[in-house]
Amino acid sequence: MFAFGKADMSDKSQWPSQNPEVVVLYCQHGLCDEAKGSAWYQESKGVFVRAVMMPCSSKIEVSYILNILESGADAVEVVACPEKSCKYLVGSLRAEKRIEYIRGLLEKIGYAPERVGINRKLSQSPEQLINLARARADAVRPFGVNPMKKGE
Amino acid sequence: MIFAEWKPLDELIDKLKIHKKVLLVGCATCVAECAAGGEKEVETLAPLLRMALKKQGHCVEIITATLEKQCEWEFVEQLAQQATEVDAIMSIACGIGVQALAERFDPITVYPGVNTSALTIREEAGLWAARCAACGDCILGETFGYCPVARCAKSLLNGPCGGTRKDGKCEVNEEVDCIWNLIVERADERGRLESLSKIKKAKDWSNSGHGGPKRVIREDLRQ
Amino acid sequence: MKMFVGSNLERRLAAGDFAVTAEVGPPRGPDPADVKKKAGILRGVADAYNVTDNQTAVVRMSSIAASKILLQEGLEPIMQIVCRDRNRIAIQSDLLGAWALGMRNVLCLSGDHQSAGAGGKLKGHPGAKNVYDIDSIQLISVVKGLRDRAIQEGGDSISPAAPFFIGAAWTPLGPPEKFRTIRLAKKINAGANFIQTQAVYDMKRFAEAVRRAQDMGLTDRAAILPGIIVPRSAGMLKYMNSNVPGIDVPEELIQRMKDAADPRIEGIEITLELIDAVKNLSGIKGVHLQAIEAEELLPDIIRSAGLLPRPRIY
Repeated sequence: MFAFGKADMSDKSQWPSQNPEVVVLYCQHGLCDEAKGSAWYQESKGVFVRAVMMPCSSKIEVSYILNILESGADAVEVVACPEKSCKYLVGSLRAEKRIEYIRGLLEKIGYAPERVGINRKLSQSPEQLINLARARADAVRPFGVNPMKKGE
Repeated sequence: MIFAEWKPLDELIDKLKIHKKVLLVGCATCVAECAAGGEKEVETLAPLLRMALKKQGHCVEIITATLEKQCEWEFVEQLAQQATEVDAIMSIACGIGVQALAERFDPITVYPGVNTSALTIREEAGLWAARCAACGDCILGETFGYCPVARCAKSLLNGPCGGTRKDGKCEVNEEVDCIWNLIVERADERGRLESLSKIKKAKDWSNSGHGGPKRVIREDLRQ
Repeated sequence: MKMFVGSNLERRLAAGDFAVTAEVGPPRGPDPADVKKKAGILRGVADAYNVTDNQTAVVRMSSIAASKILLQEGLEPIMQIVCRDRNRIAIQSDLLGAWALGMRNVLCLSGDHQSAGAGGKLKGHPGAKNVYDIDSIQLISVVKGLRDRAIQEGGDSISPAAPFFIGAAWTPLGPPEKFRTIRLAKKINAGANFIQTQAVYDMKRFAEAVRRAQDMGLTDRAAILPGIIVPRSAGMLKYMNSNVPGIDVPEELIQRMKDAADPRIEGIEITLELIDAVKNLSGIKGVHLQAIEAEELLPDIIRSAGLLPRPRIY
């Protein structure tokens, strides 16, 4: 169904898609077993998904997400556990605060804050993750391709 | 710690856009503690600046480094190689660090990436508050551990003024406690209210920056 | 009682008369006619007139200049000095100049922080460099030094001495309340001869504070003049109660203004009641009246309070 292939963020030849490229960073604890795998990519209707599993959404540093955007991804979607379910108690709350912070920074440099988002969900299947990515792709489509993709 | 915050990003982009290759340098001491200039912040600011510059059509390469301290020549020296590769440096250390780099790597332009503004403590996660004004004439022994020079908006030594709000906050900033209210309460708790009825004379500001740029020599440490 | 300087205000208080002071705010411009106009409205209704010093950190004609104009108009000024904008060198220099120009009463204040900007209504100068070299109590000591020992704060002498009748402010109802009378004592110990208070509306609590001051012997050593601001609307009272530190307005007064058919008339009624109450308060030597941007109300109020004409001073 989908290749659990290694997703190499810097490999520009992996940008075949006409669709927005959304990187999904998902917490391992928020998944059903089927979806567990360290990193995979999938072209699907309306979106090109690159997914990377995190031990906890709080491991997502602000610089990590900015690096992903800098390398050309059109958007980043973080899938974190709901507040009461975080195995590390405040991990997903921290992730949420960081996403808010990044959105503010993006606005300051003229990027659409919609390029970064967070969803608090549990027991996601791969299809559900792809749906979340598609929703994010739809949100950023009006803003066009990430300027970092253009030229050298 | 010495407290600093990022300058507005527009300002930084405006300075960097004319350059080809820039070294962004952080510091792992004070500015790291106030989440403005440590390695984490360097790694956040660098992609942000690259994205902002690219969007505006400028082609600027940004390389990064973080020093243990930017106020020690031994650490500053570690940048020697990278400094030859760039046409500008941006330091997100405090003003001391910026000047150390400017002095060592003259004639390379060194820009500040942060505004240094206070001497603070981190009261809790995400909250820094001024504690010291570097007045050079410390009276903390007489004010029960609360500094009115740094923490009273008017630096009163015989406070409080009439501006203490009903909830004990300061009229200048409703989020800030009237420090004199705290001093009086603590004095009272310790049965020492009388000590505050003595008139504190006008301060001698000459040992602080008011007396002129400081230059201090310790003969016992000179070589 | 020994006379320090023999000003109108000093002699009025020395004679044991109930003193009346009023406030004249200098204009936000250079035209002396604005000061003369207010002088014309208020001539003869008070013993001395406070001239504010860049109040709420808003640039206005300097208190020294406006005070001089008042003097020329035949009114006695109380020159207010704040510590916000001038260091001890400038303050002492201004005091010598003020004396040379005829000023004899000064009121020593810390002054609103420069972020005040008329409570946010004006731009002001929030970016100005803070001075606050000395505080109000140290300022009182400085003025006393110039007067009693002909000596500057730093130790150099002046010749001759510059005698002033020294005033200070008191906020009896601000927290920490237990300390406010101790701080009043500090001001009087530093040399304050007369005290003008932050506006009072809660007469009961004010009376308690005055009693405490009396117990400490303070009411004999300095003349206390409670401040009274003429209320114009319930909104104004509510605003002051919530936003002006040290002003406590009892709910009954706010309600009275709300219920009043004509709040402006009710406000004057309340003012007269407050004046009457403080007249009968032991230890109180006068009253300091303020009608913000409505100075024209004061003559009638002072007359209705039975305080006119001001007795001749011999």
